[in-house]
Amino acid sequence: MAHAAASKEQYNYEIIRKFAIMSLVWGILGMSVGVYIALELAYPALNFDIPEITFGRLRPVHTTLVIFGFGGSALFATSYYVVQRTCQTRLFSDGLATFTFWGWQTIIAAGALSYMLGYSQGREYAEFEWPIDILIAVVWIAYLALYVQAIRQRSQPHIYVANWFYLGFILVTAILHIFNNLAMPVGLFTLKSYSAFSGVQDAMTQWWYGHNAVGFFLTAAFLGMMYYFVPKQAGRPVYSYRLSIIHFWALVFLYMWAGAHHLHWTALPDWTSTLAATFSIMLLLPSWGGMINGIMTLSGAWDKLRSDPIMLFMIAALSFYGMSTFEGPLMSLKSVNALSHYTDWTIGHVHSGALGWVALISFGSMYHLIPRLYGTKIYSLKLIYIHFWLATIGIVLYITSMWIAGIGQGLFLRAFDDFGNLKYSFIETVVFLHQPYVWRAIGGMFFVAGVIIMAYNIFRTISQAKREAAELEARIAAKMANA
Amino acid sequence: MSEVKKDTAQTGSVQTTGHAWDGDIQEFNNPLPRWWLWAFYATVVFAVVYWFFYPAWPVGDSYTKGGMNSITYKVGDKDVTTHWNTRARLMKDLQEGEEAVKQRQYMQKVVDTSYEQILSDSSMMQFSRSVGKILFTDNCAACHGMGGAGVIGLFPNLVDDDWLWGGKVEQIQTTLTQGRNGFMPAFRKTFTEQQMDDVVEYVLGLSGHEVNKEMAGRGGVLFNGEGGGCYYCHTKEATGMHSVGAANLTDGIWTLADVPGQKTIDAKREAVGKIISNGVNRQMPAWKDRLSPAEIKVLTVYVHELGGGQ
Repeated sequence: MAHAAASKEQYNYEIIRKFAIMSLVWGILGMSVGVYIALELAYPALNFDIPEITFGRLRPVHTTLVIFGFGGSALFATSYYVVQRTCQTRLFSDGLATFTFWGWQTIIAAGALSYMLGYSQGREYAEFEWPIDILIAVVWIAYLALYVQAIRQRSQPHIYVANWFYLGFILVTAILHIFNNLAMPVGLFTLKSYSAFSGVQDAMTQWWYGHNAVGFFLTAAFLGMMYYFVPKQAGRPVYSYRLSIIHFWALVFLYMWAGAHHLHWTALPDWTSTLAATFSIMLLLPSWGGMINGIMTLSGAWDKLRSDPIMLFMIAALSFYGMSTFEGPLMSLKSVNALSHYTDWTIGHVHSGALGWVALISFGSMYHLIPRLYGTKIYSLKLIYIHFWLATIGIVLYITSMWIAGIGQGLFLRAFDDFGNLKYSFIETVVFLHQPYVWRAIGGMFFVAGVIIMAYNIFRTISQAKREAAELEARIAAKMANA
Repeated sequence: MSEVKKDTAQTGSVQTTGHAWDGDIQEFNNPLPRWWLWAFYATVVFAVVYWFFYPAWPVGDSYTKGGMNSITYKVGDKDVTTHWNTRARLMKDLQEGEEAVKQRQYMQKVVDTSYEQILSDSSMMQFSRSVGKILFTDNCAACHGMGGAGVIGLFPNLVDDDWLWGGKVEQIQTTLTQGRNGFMPAFRKTFTEQQMDDVVEYVLGLSGHEVNKEMAGRGGVLFNGEGGGCYYCHTKEATGMHSVGAANLTDGIWTLADVPGQKTIDAKREAVGKIISNGVNRQMPAWKDRLSPAEIKVLTVYVHELGGGQ
């Protein structure tokens, strides 16, 4: 592999290839589990009374595989690529980089298996039991060290904006992870532990973590991805340097306050609720800063939308990002939340961000990245188009059915009849959910079908790269022999 | 760069910051979009106004309470005025909310009215149906089913007019308030195999099944004599006894042995035999600590109407 050998000197691509491929593997697995549990909600008999595959156990498997397996691996891959290329430096330690890879994969696999076996800390998006939490902290510190060192030894005078976002994400995730998981194990040889916090403080800590996991892991980090791959793919400068600085700092500052909006109308003190709601409202425009910068960067290259399906992924990702960051502040208002909370509207909102923004921007970036990692062109542009449309149809079906389910159930639950009595019993509002649940599962199937097509396309791209490299070597060998 | 026009990104009249990364990544130095900036300021103004009216900022071990937004509600007979908070809002809503007031008025009327009057008043029946449906589906339907049809062998059917513990409103109210313990001793050790077969034959004969006359005759002696003593609860006529929840065995309605569900007479025999051998031990929980007397009253009317109450 002549090309790989050449680039090996300058950048560590091997680690990026590994993470990129695992991101697809976890993506397909995690999203398929998602479709399965969506079907379980519509047809409960599908759990076949097997404890390991009941909804309660598979749900954290789904969220862990897609957020940390798919999303996390995509972030490791792209951040290592971006930091090396924009700092023109190689990651300082191949060994440490490889450790982050195997460490992270172990964490995901161990997490998923332990949930199926019934081991869970019961903290949303942080269900890992304490030994896995310790491994996460160690891997994450190694990641931080690699990243900071790459920036410190850059051969560029300035730090590119994508790196601020990635670095912000790495730093904050470390803080969130450590504080949310402060716990005392029951014993050295048991997986059970007790949280350092209790009652409403514990709930508050969990949602401070949970919301900022969305803010930094799923938003800031993927904005970093956007800030590199969008200008790169469009071949145009970033629209506004100033906007990127201002919205970065506004986003980082404001996000931290908003978590309590997950706990409106609970035992949480009212003042905490108010702060969370107002900071969520103030978060709208800083969030949109990233969308504006992305779309305006693409705006000089609209003609490329006709010939470049990767651009379609990016523009759609930015649009869904704008939509869900508008929906979020809206739902964080106490009065809207009174309707939306505990309904599927929340689930729909999360997925418009997760599928629409996180997954689409990752797919677009991967289609740009992977052929370059292997020094070839993508196997089929047509398959990228097909993937794009399958994904878009899937997302639209998903979000629409969850709006219907969530807003519908919310309205049913608060409907009164002429006597001032509740009009519907709880079970009647659940029966109503069946059809939207079926449509949601169908939407999910579209989305997974798209990812499977992507995996095939990437597989063919990689085999084509290997063939090309072999042919090239054969030709060189022949030339050498002739000479 | 405030003089920069909107379209500068296209025309290229805006300068880049002069940095370049990874070969070709550059940054324009466009100013913040005006609408973006003003919209951001607007959200800040919104937040500040919000803080003025609602509890918002922690100060020492207290917090800013918010002004011009107090809530007055009653504690006992006294009016209490407090700054806006969700608990006071809930209290006020329960005390003065439009729906709450309406429901309370109707509920009070139910409490003040006798069963007899409720049952003959169409508007009060409408109200009882409306609350009863929700109370029933939220509390009773898990066992008795949404429509009250029960599950044969487990939970009694409330839709037919056969009542184990009596179908008068007073009896239904007692059932709901105190719960019920359904008990029949197991006769596995009391009867020999032959005796068991005889009693089964007699019991099936009671509801008009074609049975072996000779066996049924012997069974009847056991049923109505001290050998089995079944008549203590089921009575000599076998029409049951509401005070102990003993079933009427003559009406062809079965709540435990699924006799109608069996195709052959042998299967029917087996179904009845199993109950007599193993006895019955089932419970309905008491609702007096979970539902208010008014709710139990409404639910009584609802259940009474479900199954052709007596």
